[in-house]
Amino acid sequence: MQPIEIIVIAAAVLFVALVTIGAIVRRKKGKSSCGCDCSSCGGCSACKERKEKKS
Amino acid sequence: MKKFALAGNPNCGKTTLFNALTGSTAYVGNWPGVTVDKREGTYKRCPEPVSVVDLPGIYSLSPYTPEEVISRNFILDERPDCVINIVDATNLERNLYLTTQLMEIDVPLVIALNMMDAVEKNGDAIDAKALEKKMGVPVVEISALKGKGIAELMDRAYRASEKARRGETVLRDSPLAHLIRDVTIALEGQKVSAPLFHAVKLSETDEIEVKMHPELVRMVEEFKATFSDDTFGTDFEAIVADARYRYISQNFSSVLTKKDAERGKLTKSDRIDRVLTHRIWGIPIFLVILFAVFHLTFSEDFLYLGAIFRLPSLEELGLMTADGEYINFGAQFAAVFYDGAVYSPGVMLTNLLSLALDSVSALAAGWLSSSPAWVSGFLVDGCLGGLFAVLGFLPQILLLFLFFSVLEDTGYMARVAFILDRIFRKFGLSGRAFMPMIMGFGCSLPAMINTRTLADEKERTATIRVIPFFSCGAKLPILTAIAGAIIYQLGAGNADVITYSMYLLGMATAIVTVILMRSTTMRGDVPPFIMELPAYHLPQFRGLMIHLWDKLKHFVKKAFTIILVSTILVWFLSHFNWAWGYLDDEQMNESILASVGMLLQPLFTPLGFGSQLTQYGWIFAVAAINGLIAKENVVSTFGTIAACLGFALMDGMDEGVAEAVSMMQATGITVPALIAFIAFNMTTIPCFAAVATAKAELPKGKFKWTLLFWLVTSYIVASMIYVIGSWWWTAFLYAAAFAVAIALIVLWNKRRPVSHKVNRGEEAE
Repeated sequence: MQPIEIIVIAAAVLFVALVTIGAIVRRKKGKSSCGCDCSSCGGCSACKERKEKKS
Repeated sequence: MKKFALAGNPNCGKTTLFNALTGSTAYVGNWPGVTVDKREGTYKRCPEPVSVVDLPGIYSLSPYTPEEVISRNFILDERPDCVINIVDATNLERNLYLTTQLMEIDVPLVIALNMMDAVEKNGDAIDAKALEKKMGVPVVEISALKGKGIAELMDRAYRASEKARRGETVLRDSPLAHLIRDVTIALEGQKVSAPLFHAVKLSETDEIEVKMHPELVRMVEEFKATFSDDTFGTDFEAIVADARYRYISQNFSSVLTKKDAERGKLTKSDRIDRVLTHRIWGIPIFLVILFAVFHLTFSEDFLYLGAIFRLPSLEELGLMTADGEYINFGAQFAAVFYDGAVYSPGVMLTNLLSLALDSVSALAAGWLSSSPAWVSGFLVDGCLGGLFAVLGFLPQILLLFLFFSVLEDTGYMARVAFILDRIFRKFGLSGRAFMPMIMGFGCSLPAMINTRTLADEKERTATIRVIPFFSCGAKLPILTAIAGAIIYQLGAGNADVITYSMYLLGMATAIVTVILMRSTTMRGDVPPFIMELPAYHLPQFRGLMIHLWDKLKHFVKKAFTIILVSTILVWFLSHFNWAWGYLDDEQMNESILASVGMLLQPLFTPLGFGSQLTQYGWIFAVAAINGLIAKENVVSTFGTIAACLGFALMDGMDEGVAEAVSMMQATGITVPALIAFIAFNMTTIPCFAAVATAKAELPKGKFKWTLLFWLVTSYIVASMIYVIGSWWWTAFLYAAAFAVAIALIVLWNKRRPVSHKVNRGEEAE
């Protein structure tokens, strides 16, 4: 296996893991889990409260 | 930290003021009911930082919808240090109704006379000092939009917050004055905060107050037994409202000076409304405006100049060879704007971006030419192919969003809600339900949350269910890519017509399903629709740019997180078998993804993209399922797999369209099946985030049925399109089935009574 192959596989695994963990952490913090920043949405704090209540 | 609350009628400029005070970019819309929840920010220019809370708009402190409950509870329970009552100065009398209620609460109050620039522009004048004297609370003239008077407002609010204020009522001379005084004394004895406010509400036999103080209801009932008003009888709520309006009319009309020449004349907005909200022409005008928006965004023949004047193609001009190769870069650049027809602005921008993305792909392929084949395939065909297939549509998404924002900011969308009310009412919804649906064109999440402005629970449930049928920005790549493939297959047509038709199909599906719901499981009267029409004004450039920036930021962030992760997973799953052995492109049918797709494929056979397709047909099943994570994943799946199919991607085609054409060639899918594929993705279960929001917003017990509703609707709509498109005569069979269904519904309804349920704040949780 060439070094570039190892680098590509490692980078892909790391990226997938980071995005997945990031989404879980965001969700636990009560932020949007879709990856969007919904701070400008009229119902933003409602989503947050709802998630906090559930957790 | 001190806490100031911004309270006022809907669409009076609270969020605009909030943004100006806190530097936020909260969503502002020119229609009542944009803000459905409170949000906080910090103002730093007072002697100490102040927390500013933007509350949903309310007409009075007698709440009927969940977001009105939020405003009332915040002011009464959270006890802000000062309430800034934003009053729309162009509509003084109506806005002061809420002010007279806020005055009754023991909280420092400052009135911000907003939109004073509009008052001056109209040639009218308001004597703020006289108003302040009459009200007994500070009054400051401001223009939140232009940032005028804001520093003075906050300075006076800060000073007002330094000392306590006792509530006062304008009902001192009303017929209920005695009752209010007695109840106030009783509440003061119980150490209730804001006793005057609660006393007035209790006298009105306000539902919430009656629950809070049942022991005092007897006092009200005894008074009621000995009292009768000539006009209102014992309807105390009406008596109080009448007394407030009388007071406002007698005392505050004098502070407003109307320009003499304008008295009795129609305003500019009224004159425009005579055309745009016309009883007959209102809806056709809306459809034409909507088509113009789609034409400017998607048409490959701007104003149909190419068809009318039979303009020469690039090949006829000698700029392109018969093989589709451009003679030089200049010719390739010219193709961004023209090829036998002038392209619409949306297509030009998309072509320009596609050119740039193609160059990046070519560059990456060059760099990786010496690396192992799978590395190059994974990075260039897999990751970049999937990502660019979605990113390529960014200009069109932004342009469409810009046009919708312009229509909304001008105040036109509020008019559409008004003109559609007549039609919606027949189908069991009020025009108010249209506003969340329009928000659904951007994203289903805020749209579902915005349904809190609907008071009727059944209407709200029905609206949440049909919101995903209003195609959101994420579904646009599916529409545009497949529309491009259909045009390629047919050799004729225009993407704007197909996209517009699919949007209309979504709306038609929403209407038909609402009729079905409202005539079967969700029967009930349509609540009355009262909506204040905002004045027309030119959209604010800054506001539009903030909207666009937000959209761009969200889309790119999503592309480089969820969508990129999905493309990586799709590539790996399509290039490995269950024994974790690597597979070449030609062996993709033996992959994990293919085996899962083949398992699901038969389910889609009645829709035209199932078992009848050739060996790569499973890709459509996989794309549809992948779309449940994020709808953009449908096209990114095509993008990731297309390059591995062995069909050369068509030159000169936009990112995404070329991949869809490749998919079509590989699977032999028919045009009716392609349309059915779009329809299925438009009407089926939306993305995970929207599903989670629906679950939270729907009343208890409705969520599972809603999931089933989306699945069944998408299956029926897509199969109808495929079957009728393939065998036209089956239209008669469907018509007969519908006739039977209607007859059964009529018979069913005859046996069942109508029930009513109102969506109150406490029940919404």
